[in-house]
Amino acid sequence: MHITRKEYLLEQKEKGRRLMGVFPALYPREILWALDIVPAEIWDPPLEIRQAGAHLQPYICSVVRLGLELILQGKCDFLDGFLFPHTCDSIQNLASVIYDFIGARKPCYFFYHPKIPHGHTARDYYLKNLKALAAELKRQFGPLKMDSLREKVDMGRRISELLGELYDLRAARRLDASNEAFYRTIRKGEYLFPDDYIAELEGFLTQTRSEESRNGATIILSGILPNPPQILTLLDDLDVQVGHDDLLNGSRRLLISNEKPGDPFEYMAECYFHMPPCPTRGSSISDRMRHLLSLINATGAKGVIFNVVKFCEPEWFDVPNLQEELKKRGVPSLVLDTELNQGLSGQMKTRLEAFIEIVRVHRESITTKH
Amino acid sequence: MKDLGAPLLFRIMEKRKKKRLREPNPFMGPPLKCAGRLRQIMTRHYYLSRFAKGARPVAWVTSGAPVEILRVFGFYTIYPENHGALCGAQKMGPELCAEAEKKGYHSDLCSYARIDLGHAFSGKTPAGRLPRPDLLFASNNICQTVLYWYKQLSHQWDIPLITFDTPYNFQEIRSGDIHFMVRQFEEMVPELEKISGRKYSHKRFQKIIRIAAETSRTWGQVLAAMKHRPAPMTIFDAFVHLAPVVSLRGLPVALEYYRVLLNELNERIEEGIGAVREEKKRLMWDNIAVWFKLRDWSHLFAERGVNFVAATYTNAWAETIHHLTEESPFESMAKAYSLIILNNNLSHRLKLMEKMIRDYQVDGLVILSLRSCKPYSVGQYDLKRLLMERLGIKSLIIESDMTDFRTYSEEQARTRIEAFLEGLGV
Ligand code: SF4
Repeated sequence: MHITRKEYLLEQKEKGRRLMGVFPALYPREILWALDIVPAEIWDPPLEIRQAGAHLQPYICSVVRLGLELILQGKCDFLDGFLFPHTCDSIQNLASVIYDFIGARKPCYFFYHPKIPHGHTARDYYLKNLKALAAELKRQFGPLKMDSLREKVDMGRRISELLGELYDLRAARRLDASNEAFYRTIRKGEYLFPDDYIAELEGFLTQTRSEESRNGATIILSGILPNPPQILTLLDDLDVQVGHDDLLNGSRRLLISNEKPGDPFEYMAECYFHMPPCPTRGSSISDRMRHLLSLINATGAKGVIFNVVKFCEPEWFDVPNLQEELKKRGVPSLVLDTELNQGLSGQMKTRLEAFIEIVRVHRESITTKH
Repeated sequence: MKDLGAPLLFRIMEKRKKKRLREPNPFMGPPLKCAGRLRQIMTRHYYLSRFAKGARPVAWVTSGAPVEILRVFGFYTIYPENHGALCGAQKMGPELCAEAEKKGYHSDLCSYARIDLGHAFSGKTPAGRLPRPDLLFASNNICQTVLYWYKQLSHQWDIPLITFDTPYNFQEIRSGDIHFMVRQFEEMVPELEKISGRKYSHKRFQKIIRIAAETSRTWGQVLAAMKHRPAPMTIFDAFVHLAPVVSLRGLPVALEYYRVLLNELNERIEEGIGAVREEKKRLMWDNIAVWFKLRDWSHLFAERGVNFVAATYTNAWAETIHHLTEESPFESMAKAYSLIILNNNLSHRLKLMEKMIRDYQVDGLVILSLRSCKPYSVGQYDLKRLLMERLGIKSLIIESDMTDFRTYSEEQARTRIEAFLEGLGV
């Protein structure tokens, strides 16, 4: 598919679908799909901040600032509403700034997901919130047919399977795709309707599945999203593969549930509580560490890059402990403090190159030892 | 708990204080007599905490958490944010923050968190020594930051963390949210019994709830005393006198203290004693205090006949907690704690500020934009604009941190304050 995101969304609108601007990160997309709503996620629009500075201090992260800029520049005028999941303090207050003060002139929806460790109370509450959101959306965009919801849950499941397969192949070094191409494709899920996304993923799988095993060093990429994209291209240039990721808009959102879908709401709740650990859901350091180690083991990665968006509190708090634990286990790691769409400074580039050198040496020493 | 040597400590403190006594400021009214008593209460609290370990279960608690439930089980409670403020006032912020930064914590993170982590790594504190907790108790009704922060401590020390999750009120509070919070309380009880080794007593709980509600109500009356002209105290006093309602809430000592303070304020009102001798203008403060500047700024404004008579921050402990009822302690706690200012939408904050500006006859607003605190600071630019549009109220935004003065520029702040005061005609 060679049309731009904007062209695609406009095309969908022409087909009679409704468009919902969705802020990061976790929300029940199946409910939107079942209402014939296309979620257009707002993560890192390629804009220069011109107007958002009148509403937000410079110490607010660029995901939030760019998201507001997109609205203020009128680039969301063709959307039919906004959905704000409760991800962090900054997105929480941004939602209120837009809804209460700026006035989105469109319906706004909010979705709170529990932050307590998962138990019955959290699960029941999550389930209730799913139903409450469905009821609210139905009032504006209804009706919501259960058959359609079931169908979309199946599609979501299919997407997860395809993504899972892609991630697994990549982890096994049997995916012939650059880092840049991998994330370009995966990230189309931020706006494609599920049938189109499934087709896209199937096509990509067919093109990139490889019988031969790839060589080269492998690392794990952790953070919110793979931006600045220059990180990926630099890794490609250095012949380093991202073996797996721990990205909020990557594998942290992979819906993994062994349950067979029965009641669609129950199934969606089940998926939420089975997602990989994430600080925005209140996951503990130990859970995160265990997960990172499982990714390292599965991929044979020799290092971890924490690509942290500047001012992102949920990410920054965990980094020192994760780094420390990795160090104890002899896994080198690198922390990058990045602004979205600002490219890589010369210094960052040098640090990244030096880190890859360490990873390579580390890899060779392990290979020789074996 | 036995009062081991605290009286001696107070005597030493008093002596030291006498030595330190500075010239009275000619622009300010007589200082509050209660201040000494407050100092004693808080020093005693920190002093006794050294002996709490082993004698009583110890919990570290976030400032907005429903501490009443811990009191039932006899927890000795320490408030890292209050400790952070203390470090800030003692100008130890940068030193402790740097300890956390050495371990990799970014200097952009909340400075209360960095101070606390810095203390955890280095043991440095102006309070002598803080007891290591048996429990960490955090509620995200003030911010999500506390969850990220407390989980570091929990990991570091392998100590249980109980989180009280209060869904943010994007709009009105919903019955499902209340139910969710009540169920969390119900689930906490057996956990707290296990950690503390004490049984839950509903009767004790009701008594604590009663005291906490009354304390919050009395604190509200203390603040309301500043509606009078001239106001008998300043918000800089209130920032300091806030400590008991934050960290000793639910204990009789806090309530007793505020009754004494209220009496003193009423006496001052009757005698026409103002905190600022010639009160020409009245201001409101938005956000946490700049702890390392309290004294300087109280003098700076007083010299121009300007008094701060209200603050959204001090009001937070008077706004909802008095709604606690012993008839339905869990449900009323759920509502009271989830409706506090930082867990409520900005439309609510705007209305609250408008009401306070009217009730306290405020002439201008000083807004502290805090890099440390996103939930308090995001939205301030629009609040400023809207309050100007609706009430014609002038305001000033100051950039600073509450404790870490490495990023603070005295010159810039002074220039802005001077210009603002000129604009107010003083
Ligand atoms: S200052 Fe703000 S971010 Fe820090 S603990 Fe307090 S409410 Fe949370």
